Amino acid sequence: MKLLTKLTVFIALSKLAIVALFVMLLPYLVEGIASGYTNYYLKQQKQKVLQITKAKGIDFYLQGDDSYGSYTMLKEEYIALEQTQYPLQKDTIETAKRVVENDTLSYRILKHSFKSDSKNYLLEIGKTTNSINQYNHSLQRIALFVLMGLIALTIIVDLVFTRIFLRPLGLIIKQKLVDQKFPFSKPLEPIKTSTYDFKYLDSVISNLMLQINVAFEKEREFTANASHELLTPISILQTKIENMMIEAGLENKNHQQLAEMMRTVNRLKKIVNSLLLISRIENKQFDKKDNVLLNDLIGEVMEELDHRLAEKSLAFTIQLSYHSPIKKLNHDLIFQLFYNLINNAIRYNKPNGEIIICDTLKNGIYTVMVKDSGYGISEADLPYIFNRFTRVNKTEVAGNGLGLAIVKSIADYHHLALTVNSEENVGTTFSVIFK
Amino acid sequence: MLIVEDERTLALEIEAFLKKASYICDFARNAEQALEQIGINSYDFVLLDLGLPDQDGLVVLQEAKKCNPDAAYIILTARGRLEDRIKGLDLGADDYLAKPFSLLELQSRMQAIARRKFGFNVDLIAFGDFKMDLQKRLVWHQQNEIELSRKEFDLLSYLLLHKNRPLTRMQLSEHIWGNLADDDFDSNYIDAHIKNVRKKLGAFAHTDWLETMRGVGYKIRI
Repeated sequence: MKLLTKLTVFIALSKLAIVALFVMLLPYLVEGIASGYTNYYLKQQKQKVLQITKAKGIDFYLQGDDSYGSYTMLKEEYIALEQTQYPLQKDTIETAKRVVENDTLSYRILKHSFKSDSKNYLLEIGKTTNSINQYNHSLQRIALFVLMGLIALTIIVDLVFTRIFLRPLGLIIKQKLVDQKFPFSKPLEPIKTSTYDFKYLDSVISNLMLQINVAFEKEREFTANASHELLTPISILQTKIENMMIEAGLENKNHQQLAEMMRTVNRLKKIVNSLLLISRIENKQFDKKDNVLLNDLIGEVMEELDHRLAEKSLAFTIQLSYHSPIKKLNHDLIFQLFYNLINNAIRYNKPNGEIIICDTLKNGIYTVMVKDSGYGISEADLPYIFNRFTRVNKTEVAGNGLGLAIVKSIADYHHLALTVNSEENVGTTFSVIFK
Repeated sequence: MLIVEDERTLALEIEAFLKKASYICDFARNAEQALEQIGINSYDFVLLDLGLPDQDGLVVLQEAKKCNPDAAYIILTARGRLEDRIKGLDLGADDYLAKPFSLLELQSRMQAIARRKFGFNVDLIAFGDFKMDLQKRLVWHQQNEIELSRKEFDLLSYLLLHKNRPLTRMQLSEHIWGNLADDDFDSNYIDAHIKNVRKKLGAFAHTDWLETMRGVGYKIRI
């Protein structure tokens, strides 16, 4: 999952959790506030009553009676004052039912007992619970709406800013990492950002890529120069041996030794030529302007390889169904690619085995497969077969270990994908994928 | 013949080989010397290494062509320098060889050019009781035409050109398959071809002149 997606999901979920929590708490909160306020209100009322009795005497209310009662028109509030024989008690606030003029209503009641003129009095001030809770619902709704609005606003703000803050990271990934093919040919321009972490990341990545490029460049130069420089001494050796070979008076033993030397020089020559070819491909010294008809090209390859097939009595089948030319290739390199693949298919095949070349076209992706029924490659060796000088086949057949490295560099140069499937003692299939 | 090659040892080896084929060789080690020599002498063959220290060999080729257009030019390139090869042939080179090259191959190319360019016709080469026409690519025994495959003919004519010299299987397969020759692979095939040649020719007369050299290759002794 991308960091931005993760953050987006996290922000949205955390906000939703807060909303849910608040919605759950809201009724209790509102009720708490309302009852708290009621208690406060009742106490205020009590103070008022006490002040009045203090200033004007208790008879201001009682007017000679034992008790006094009064209520508002809708019976939302009432006040009651009466003499009591009970001793003085602490103030209490409770919810209880009272009958007011034949209506039984639920009240929040403050009870206060006090002494006046050496008599004990009990003061009750009540407020209907209905009137206390009448605003709760709408309050809750308003609170909810406001909250939702605020949350939505913060989500939007959060997302916009996360996006802005994370933009440089996206740019680093997009410009420097996505679709990067080695060697890195795109120019490495620093990403504009004020975030230190991204700046650091960007500079380190650019630096590493640059270093890899430099190292690769050096290796490429070395391969090109070294192999080129080796050509002249090898030429001298070869011509010297050839001249010795035709000298008069040599015995067969000498000739055999010279022939051996010639073979060794020839091996050296092949290695150097292969390395040169790879470095020339890597240096892009080949045009890609040819239209190649694979059927014809493989025919050309087989002209050179037919005799090797016959020697091992291999059955060869070519079944290509796609017959239009593929554009923008280098004919000679593609020839070399299939030559090496088919040559390997012959080299590592068992006597009386078979080689099949076939193709598929799916969703615009054209794949050519070279299948053999040979010794196969073990799973452990598969990742290394395209490396230079890696010869994984433990058969007695010797190669110089560069054939598949050449195949790989030709494929890379043409942006072709290569895949290998192999089963030991069953066979190997190389697929060349043209996009 | 002029050998334009900056590597002295290599030039000397080429000369030593060509001297046996009766060529008289001059040397030039760089472009300046080469153009000077070509200006003074008229050569039949110029063997020109494209990688000269002072100037691009292709420039030398262009200049040399102006003052000595009749000479045959063979360019030596580093293998794979496809564009050099094509440019060289476009500029009028008669043939090219990729370094490292075989001296036998060089002589074979020179002979082919001589035939093609100078009308130098060795009418018919006689060997044993047979005759070969290189132009028409035919082999006869008296009036009987013997049918050889392309590769069989190439092998036989190569051996004939270098008669009385031992040729290794590797040299032979390199002549036939060039760059793509594979020593371990193809030497059996050379044997098979030689066997065929012996069989086809042996039907008419003995083929003692074609000797097998144990552990080396083949030789035509005439």
